[in-house]
Amino acid sequence: MSATLSVIPGPAKDMNASLALGRKRKRANRIVKTLCLTATGLGLIFLASILATLLSKGIAGLSLTVFTTSTLPPGSHGGLLNAIVGTLIQTVLGAAIGTPIGLMVGTYLAEYARDSALGNAVRFVSDILLSAPSILIGLFVYQIVVSPLGGFSGFAGCLALALIVIPIVVRTTEDMLRLIPSQLREAVIGLGAPKWKMIVLICYRAAREGIVTGILLAVARISGETAPLLFTSLGNLNWSLSLTKPMASLPVTIYQYAGSAFQDWVDLAWAGALLITAAVLAVNIVARTLLRGRK
Amino acid sequence: MSTTIEQSSTHGGVQTRPETAINTAKIDIENLDFFYGEHRALKSIELKLPNRQVTGMIGPSGCGKSTLLRVLNRMYDLYPGQRATGKAMMDGQNIVDPGVDLNSLRARIGMVFQKPTPFPMTIFENIAFGVKLHEKLSKSEMEERVEWSLNRGALWGEVKDRLHTSAMGLSGGQQQRLCIARTIAVRPEVILLDEPTSALDPISTLKIEELIDELKNDFTIAIVTHNMQQAARCADQVAFFYLGEMVEVAPAAQLFTAPKEKRTQDYVTGRFG
Amino acid sequence: MSTTTETGAPPLTGRRGSNLGDTIFAALAKLSGIFVLAVLGAIIAALALGGSKAFIAFGPKFLSSNDWDPVQETFGALVPIFGTIVTAILALAMAVPLAFGIAFYLTELAPAWMRRPVSTAIELLAAVPSIIYGMWGFFVIVPIMSQYVQPFVIDTIGELPLIGPFFQGPPFGTGILTAALVLAVMVIPFIAATMRDVFDTVPAVYKESAYGLGCTTWEVMRSIVIPYTRASVVGGIMLGLGRALGETMAVTFVIGNTNRIATSLFGPGNTIASIVALEFPEAETGSLKLSSLLALGLILFAIAFIVLAISRTLLKPGMKA
Repeated sequence: MSATLSVIPGPAKDMNASLALGRKRKRANRIVKTLCLTATGLGLIFLASILATLLSKGIAGLSLTVFTTSTLPPGSHGGLLNAIVGTLIQTVLGAAIGTPIGLMVGTYLAEYARDSALGNAVRFVSDILLSAPSILIGLFVYQIVVSPLGGFSGFAGCLALALIVIPIVVRTTEDMLRLIPSQLREAVIGLGAPKWKMIVLICYRAAREGIVTGILLAVARISGETAPLLFTSLGNLNWSLSLTKPMASLPVTIYQYAGSAFQDWVDLAWAGALLITAAVLAVNIVARTLLRGRK
Repeated sequence: MSTTIEQSSTHGGVQTRPETAINTAKIDIENLDFFYGEHRALKSIELKLPNRQVTGMIGPSGCGKSTLLRVLNRMYDLYPGQRATGKAMMDGQNIVDPGVDLNSLRARIGMVFQKPTPFPMTIFENIAFGVKLHEKLSKSEMEERVEWSLNRGALWGEVKDRLHTSAMGLSGGQQQRLCIARTIAVRPEVILLDEPTSALDPISTLKIEELIDELKNDFTIAIVTHNMQQAARCADQVAFFYLGEMVEVAPAAQLFTAPKEKRTQDYVTGRFG
Repeated sequence: MSTTTETGAPPLTGRRGSNLGDTIFAALAKLSGIFVLAVLGAIIAALALGGSKAFIAFGPKFLSSNDWDPVQETFGALVPIFGTIVTAILALAMAVPLAFGIAFYLTELAPAWMRRPVSTAIELLAAVPSIIYGMWGFFVIVPIMSQYVQPFVIDTIGELPLIGPFFQGPPFGTGILTAALVLAVMVIPFIAATMRDVFDTVPAVYKESAYGLGCTTWEVMRSIVIPYTRASVVGGIMLGLGRALGETMAVTFVIGNTNRIATSLFGPGNTIASIVALEFPEAETGSLKLSSLLALGLILFAIAFIVLAISRTLLKPGMKA
């Protein structure tokens, strides 16, 4: 072996060439660093621009009547009360329908079907539904609920939103349950508890913050959804709490008003946009803080 | 248990190498402190790494021996909140000086980690990768360099027919020798080994120990190990660390058979660790 | 606690109650899983059934025809398919470099105190409802495009041979390029967040070995981090593509909504999502137009499904969206 050792003599590098190469490499490094900083700066500028636009245009349209009056024809000082209430109803009901299903699916994936073929298929499909175009959910609910029942309804809107909630809750529930150490499970089973009690009483409790975070993120997501409501709850310019009739919602009202020719409607659209964004971002921040507090 | 201290013998089964003279220092560490945030992990370390010899570093977990290695090639710079003060002089330059060019420092002081870290490329590319960072070589020069490094890494015979296959296909011991060869290929002056055999089987361990013996003809080597036998077999001098302090440094035979400090004696005789 | 299984006595038999509970719970869980599969099947079936009338009436020509004439009742999907793909790909071309830069900055370059706030800001950008992007695009980006960007580009690049024609036409501010720009801003946070999570999965010891050889940060990223994570990075990009393909509100506001294949990037166009959103309210139940819109929905679903399936296969399972 030692016969080949002297092929290249010991450390006697060409220091100048090495230094020149080093300078070139450092220059490349600096350029890339600068570009990355610029990219991050641009990302922050986009966010700042969106928030600044919302604030400057939204506050102008914001007044007490926005919260006390329903939508009215242009020029008659209407508000957004029906849209706000409609969004609250549809969001809450959508989350209430979607969460238990999502929770059970997530439980199935984490506790029963980690590596089974069916489990893998469910996980795959759920992850695809998570990112599937939401307008298609609207079309789907139109086909199976609105069209057969012969009319747009708040209930159809709730269903469409529930279908969006499910995959979000599935993802966080499975992730959070998987984080629970197997020793904890073994300890519970070791005490003689049946599996379902282990899951419901121990695992859910251990993963509580994470699961709640998932639900909150789902609520934030559906409260700002427009496309799936266009063909389901449609929107309603009058005050209505009936789930069997078309129901107003903030995003759809914003969509209808923002493109209109009446300045007071456009102002209302901005006020609504500010409200919905503030709500969505607030829920997001609460959800993230909750998760962080746990870590 | 600690009453009999025999010369060059079997203290806790430790076989030491015959004593050799300690060379002049390649790296001279003086009054070196290291901090993880507020925690002082190294306390006024004084240690000389003799040129072209092997320094073994032993001590219980968390004693600071690996931390010292990570100071010597400034790996800690990657992590905010970690800092070193004091001196670690190499060729008249202070390694912990903030103005040091890290890339060329790391080219001069190579490091091999506990677990083998082959990069996701072919065996050839793994070796060439580091060389290309610092030197511009022609194709034939590069081939020559790769062969030389793999030879020195005692791996050439095993891989010469599959240089262009993925390095991930090698066994753990081969991967570790590849990592050593990759470090050698850059032609550093100092090689830092952080428990290089702790993830390997006994036969691979033996091969790497033989390799270390061979490499010290050209390189200054520092090896952190949990295994006292290994320190005794490989090292010319051994330093014992405890709770962030360098307690004692001595030629291997002396440290294992006639330690001056009570703490060293307790450790090498298995009182704690 | 509400059941009678905890009797306190320790016989090895007599656990029927808990067995029953286990059986019911497991069955419920499995049923929910099957429900998710059923939803996918039902979406495909509902769209296919609804679109069958259009597929039968026009046959394969539905895909190749650029007609969209409610009066003559002839409908073709070519223009919206073209618009969907072109806007999504243009959006990615703009978003990927920026998202990569952000992810690289957040994982390797940013000082520790900045990582969390900047990360949160990027995630909030992802949480903003898409209709807000639409309004922002319409009221902020469109005026900037029509007053500054487009006149300038038309006078400079538009004069060049070969690529010039792509940058010509009246500077309305709306159009395919504007839609792609708004889409890009929308998908940047998704791609950046996925890339950041993926980059974080590279074990520190590999990066340290590369630094140990004297690599610069960029060299470690290029030679170690990217090769290690290549599949997942592509998966993250495909995820962004899936979002861009199906986005409705952000596009509808700014694309100009014309059923014509524009030769210029400044020209108006439409996408499947935008034409469905705009024309669906005007389509009567049982009409050929409604069926054509549902058929478009099926086509969009097929495209998105393929893209998202590739994305999910490349991303490690369980990686968040």
